[in-house]
Formats: sequence, C-alpha cells, structure tokens
Amino acid sequence: MDELIDESGLPQPVAAALMQLIDRIGEAELRSRQRIAELDILTMGITFTVYSDGQNIDRAWPFDIIPRVIDGSEWDEIAAGLSQRLRAINMFIDDLYNDQRIIADGVFPADLLAASVNYRPQLRGIHPKHGVWAHISGTDLVRDDDGKMYVLEDNLRVPSGVSYVIENRGVAKRAFAELFERQRIRAVDGYTDELNRLLTSLAPNGVADPQLAVLTPGIFNSAYFEHSFLAERMGAELVEGADLVVDSDDCVYMKTIDGHERVDVIYRRIDDLFLDPEVFLPESMLGVPGLIRAWKAGNVGLANAPGAGVADDKVVYAWVPDIIRYYLSEEPLIANVPTYRTMYDDERRFVIDNIGDLVIKPANESGGYGILIGNRATRDELDQAVAAIEADPRNWVAQPILALSTVPTLVDGGIEPRHVDLRPFVLTSDRSYVTPGGLTRVALRKDSLIVNSSQGGGSKDTWIIDGMYEAGPV
Amino acid sequence: MAQLLARTADRLYWGARYIERAEDTARIVRAYNDLVVDYPSQEMLRWEPLAALTGSDPSITVPPHDLSGETTVVRYLLADRANPSSIVSTVAMARENLRTTREVMPREAWQAVNQLTHYVDATAAGAVERQLRDRFLVRIVEVSRRLDGILESTMTRSNEFRMLRLGRLVERADMTTRVLGVAAAAILELEGANREELVTDQVRWMSVLRSVSALQMYQRAVRGPIDGLAVVTFLLSYSAFPRSVQGCLDDIRTVLDGLPSPQAVLAELDRTEGVVRAAHPDVTEGVDLDRAMETTQAAIARLDVAIRDRYVASAL
Repeated sequence: MDELIDESGLPQPVAAALMQLIDRIGEAELRSRQRIAELDILTMGITFTVYSDGQNIDRAWPFDIIPRVIDGSEWDEIAAGLSQRLRAINMFIDDLYNDQRIIADGVFPADLLAASVNYRPQLRGIHPKHGVWAHISGTDLVRDDDGKMYVLEDNLRVPSGVSYVIENRGVAKRAFAELFERQRIRAVDGYTDELNRLLTSLAPNGVADPQLAVLTPGIFNSAYFEHSFLAERMGAELVEGADLVVDSDDCVYMKTIDGHERVDVIYRRIDDLFLDPEVFLPESMLGVPGLIRAWKAGNVGLANAPGAGVADDKVVYAWVPDIIRYYLSEEPLIANVPTYRTMYDDERRFVIDNIGDLVIKPANESGGYGILIGNRATRDELDQAVAAIEADPRNWVAQPILALSTVPTLVDGGIEPRHVDLRPFVLTSDRSYVTPGGLTRVALRKDSLIVNSSQGGGSKDTWIIDGMYEAGPV
Repeated sequence: MAQLLARTADRLYWGARYIERAEDTARIVRAYNDLVVDYPSQEMLRWEPLAALTGSDPSITVPPHDLSGETTVVRYLLADRANPSSIVSTVAMARENLRTTREVMPREAWQAVNQLTHYVDATAAGAVERQLRDRFLVRIVEVSRRLDGILESTMTRSNEFRMLRLGRLVERADMTTRVLGVAAAAILELEGANREELVTDQVRWMSVLRSVSALQMYQRAVRGPIDGLAVVTFLLSYSAFPRSVQGCLDDIRTVLDGLPSPQAVLAELDRTEGVVRAAHPDVTEGVDLDRAMETTQAAIARLDVAIRDRYVASAL
C-alpha cells in the first residue's frame, strides 16, 4: 500500500493538502524545490560518512522532498506502543543483570542468555538510575499490506538518525512553507532538549549542573555528523576517547587547555566492547580505560548503559511480546513481525522448507548487512543460507517477506512509489518521550527494500498531522 | 562554561590558520595579477616568483608553451591538490578541522565554511583562466572576511574564540613575511635575467603593498614616493597596521593575555619580536631580503610550536 495514495489513486485524507499542492505546482516546480533543498543540505553541511575504497567520504545527506505523512491519532497509538515496549525492554535488561526472574519463571530460556554475544557478565549486579539501560532507542517500524505498523527491530545500542529528523524538517519547512502555514504539523525540534533533560537526570548524586559530553569514535565514523550535531544542540562537549581520562579517584576528566575538568554524564556513541579496554576489548583505542570503574562507582552517568545491547538482538526480539506481558501485564500495543527462531527444531525445519518465502536475518548485524530476501536470492545463496543456519542456529531468525508500504518519491523518471520504513526515537528515563514521527528512510531504487543510507537509501521528512485538512484552494 | 578541550583547541587553531592562508593567498595572487595585467603579454612579467609564496623551493615545472609561467603558477597556487598550500587544499583542510569543532562555533560560521568549500571545489579549476580568476579570488577574500565578521559579532569571547584568533594572527604574520619573500624572489629573478627592468621599482613595491591590502594605509602613514625600504619597514614594524608582522604580534599578545597560563608562550613571543626588530634587510639585494624573511618565518614557526606545546601537547 501507499502511505499517501489509496487504491483508487486518490490522496489519503491526511495527505490531501500535500498532494493537492504537488498537483498544482507540477513536477518542474517540485524539481526546482528539490534542487534548492539539496543546496540547503550542502550549505548546512548535513552529511554522512561512507566508507568505500579504503577512504571515508563525507557525503551530502540524501533527501527526497516529498514527505511521508501520518495522522496524529494513529501516531499517538504508535507512540504509546513504543513507550510501552521500551519500558518493558528496560525492565528485562535490568532483570538479566540482576535477579533474572524472567529466566527463573521459565519465560526466557537460560541458554539463550548464555549464548548472547551482547550480554556483559562483567556488569552483573549493577542497577543504573531509574533502572534504565537503553535510554535512547531507535525502533524500526514498517507498514505491511494490511495497513498495520510492525516493529521490525529495536536498536538499543548506538542508534543513529535523529539528527536527520531535525535537519530534514528544517529543509522541508523551507521547501513547503505554504503547507506548514495551513496545517498543524508536530514540531520535532524538542528532541535535543528532551535528551539534555534525560542526560542531566543521569548525573551523579549531588551534581546540580552536570557537564555533559558526547563520546564519539571520531571523524571517520559514519554518524560523526550526528555526534557533532547533538553536542552542538545540547551545549555538550564532543569528546573522543583520548580526550578523557579516569583518575585514581574513579572520576572521569577531560583534558582541557587548563588542566583536567570533571565530566558527569557521557552520551556514548561507541559500541560498548570498545568503551573501556580495562573491562572489554583490551586493544580498543577508542575507549577510556577505567570508564566502567567510574560508572560502577556512580561517578559518571552513561547512556546508553553498556550491556543494553543484550535486548537488541534479532533472536531476543522474538520474545519481546512475552517480555511486555511478563513485566507489565499488558498486551503489546504494537505488533512484532512474526519471527521464526531457528534454534528450535520445528521452527528451523519450517524455515529451511520455506526459505524462498522468508527473510533470513543474522542475529547481530546492523546496517542491513547479512540479510537475505528469499524470493530475490539465487539458489546458491539460499543453499549457503541453509548451511549457515544449520551451522549456527542460535545466530539466525526468519520472518515472512513484508510488503513494505511506499511513498511517492521524486526520481529520474518522475514521481514514483518507493518503499519506506520509519525509525522513531524513544527516550526512556523516569518517563518516556517519543519523537513525533521519526526518520523515514526510502529505498531509492525501484522495488528495492534496502533503505540504509550506506547502501543507496534516501530519507524523507515525516509529518504527524493533527486535525483533518479541509480541501479547498491552496 | 566548560574549559576548552585541548584537541578542540588544536583544531580551531589550525582551522583558522588554513582559512587565513586561503584568504591571504587569494589577496597575493590578486595583487600580482593586477600588476601583470598592466603589462602586455609579450613583455612577459614572469610568474615564477609568486610560487615562492609557498616556500623557497616550490615544486613546479613550467612547460615551454606556458611562456610567462602564468597558467602553471596560478594552477599551482589555486587549484593544485598536491600543493598543500593551494587554495583548494587549504580550504579543504580548514573544513576538515572545523568539522570537528562545530559544537563550539556559531552555526552560521560553519555554514560559511561549507559555502566556501563548495564554491572552491566547483570553481577553482576554472579560475586558472584570467577571465574568472579575479571574481574567484575576491569571493575567497569576502567569505573569509564574512566568517571573521560572524565570529566577531556572534561568538562568545571564550578560549574557543581566542584559539581561532590566534590561528588567524599567526598565519597572517607568516603570510606577510611571505609576501616580502615573493618580492625578494622577484628581485632575484630580475637580477638573474640581467635585463632592463620592465617594471619600475615603485610599481613593484606598490604591488607588494596591495597584496596585503596595505597600499592606502601605507600612503597615509608614510609620506613621499613609495620606496622599498619604507615598504619593508612598514610591513614588518608599523604596528598600527593590523597586517604588519608587529601588528599581528601585538594582537597575539592581547589574545594570549586572555588564555590560561600563557607565560611560556609570552616568553617566546618576546623572542619573536626581538627577531623582527633586528631585521634590517638591504631591500635592493634579493638574497638579503630573502634571508631576512626566512629568519623571521623561522621565529614565527617557533612561536607556533610554543603555542602548541602549551595548549595542545601539555594536556595530552
């Protein structure tokens, strides 16, 4: 289905104003607005980094001018579902690092935890503030042919993209000023303030005006732009591992031109294995020796907490509906995509027998890597996938092939439907915040389902619109 | 407010240096261009001396068909990515450095840097042609000035601001000595060619002043016809002129006074000033002028090292 146009070719009610405007200005004017938008993106320096041919290249952020629109009342339900999901997931993580009630109660299999590559046994017994581990998450949603939104995956480690939500809006506002004037489109600017509030709440006890820092792996990271953007918007310091030092008092300091200065809260954008060579990978050059020591001592706040990734795994994903029921005694408000767990014999047999009709996913890859879409794979690729599953059943899941919804997109040939997903960002502390909308990623190639910007995907602004638009002259 | 990270200090300093180098290169090429245009092409005012801007031994080879060396030298200074001091290279380096300091700079300033990068990338190769050259060079100077204006009018007087200023000033002092180095190379060239001077002494020194936008200010400060010794003295020691070496050093002192514990750097600055005061080149001798400028550049380089030792290395 299409997000903006119904089966009869008419605009969906929520998209009426937008489609009417596009109709009126015509493709040539739309193209000229697209060009201006691209120029804005260059001038504002909105970029992402791609690694290719041994070089990291700072590329202009790909943006399609036609937004995706979602009705406000539908969004409120989705947002409630996301808050619910993240509350439960955080209780789950905290439980795994402490009492492990869910395992004792037989809801979550112990051998799954034992085999998890993202569980950090070094962190057993820690109970971070608010009991929250995954403070910031970027949950991927897709809409299937039945019109329902499904959670595709939970990104709980270092999810990126929120800076583009905010920057895309800046560009879209200039491109479609007349629509913003006539409709109530929910603002997305508040995110960085909410993030600031959240990080501040993680400050060590007694610190009233905490020094915040965003910890980046550095300029070669694909999300460097975002790290710098968030630091800028929050008035935080952007630091690299080498800028920080943990002293014998177990406090974290940054190296300034006037000596060492205390850092109270770190929004870390480095994978947890690289965070502290004393505890995790000893050869990591990106991290800060002693950081975990400082965190355990309560002298620094970390978001997301290291170890949060245990729940961000395509196998654990399959248990999230049960996790929600277990901790909250509520039914999930947003559905999971049905997921076959190849670690179970019967489910594995089903997957192998039906591999041509399924999507096969490795448990712990991101960026769309390692995913095999059954009906688009060659016989050889399918055979290899079966062999890989049989060799390591714990490492794979399979899902039905969803018919991702489309949004009209300006491409070389004109305006054509292209598949999209949606990544809203959820902040969880003693309360929850969900970005209104999120990052809509679009597969720019015809019929492609791969939306990742590292693999030729683009982006769109996402409008959550309140109140019905009454058709009339624009 | 938090103290400035040592790594950020380094990037701000270098970002500012590179922007200033691009701007000053643009000014110098423009002034030389202006001088050349006054002479018909068959009289062949040669361009090689200008390449001395990037050091005493630039790696360029002028092919025979490039009679005056114009295309070769201008491409080398504007559009050659292999030349780390060309305008395309310095602008790219400025952006690479300032990309890591976005959170401490006004947003508008970052946008000016971006505009400059995109403009230079799109235009530099074409600007080797005379027709487009002047517009290109003027634009570089303008964006650089606008960037300074944005910082001047919207940036908190913090240590971040001071590091940017410091980078600008150190580079500017250095570039002024290089302009005089180019003058020295031109004198040497004429001596070597052993031919009638096509360009009078006065016109040549006027051009030197123009390269640092100093002609008008020189004329207001120094009476009488333009002569070499007065020009060199003006550009080295006339501290009221902000592009003179001494003027830059005075401003550097003011900036250092605002930074934490600058004692070691101030001591080096005293030595730099001593070197500038002691420079009394014979302006009719290319070799002598050249040597004096190299000595001054070496003193500025030691100042640069002292700045980095204090604000970057000591914290690491």
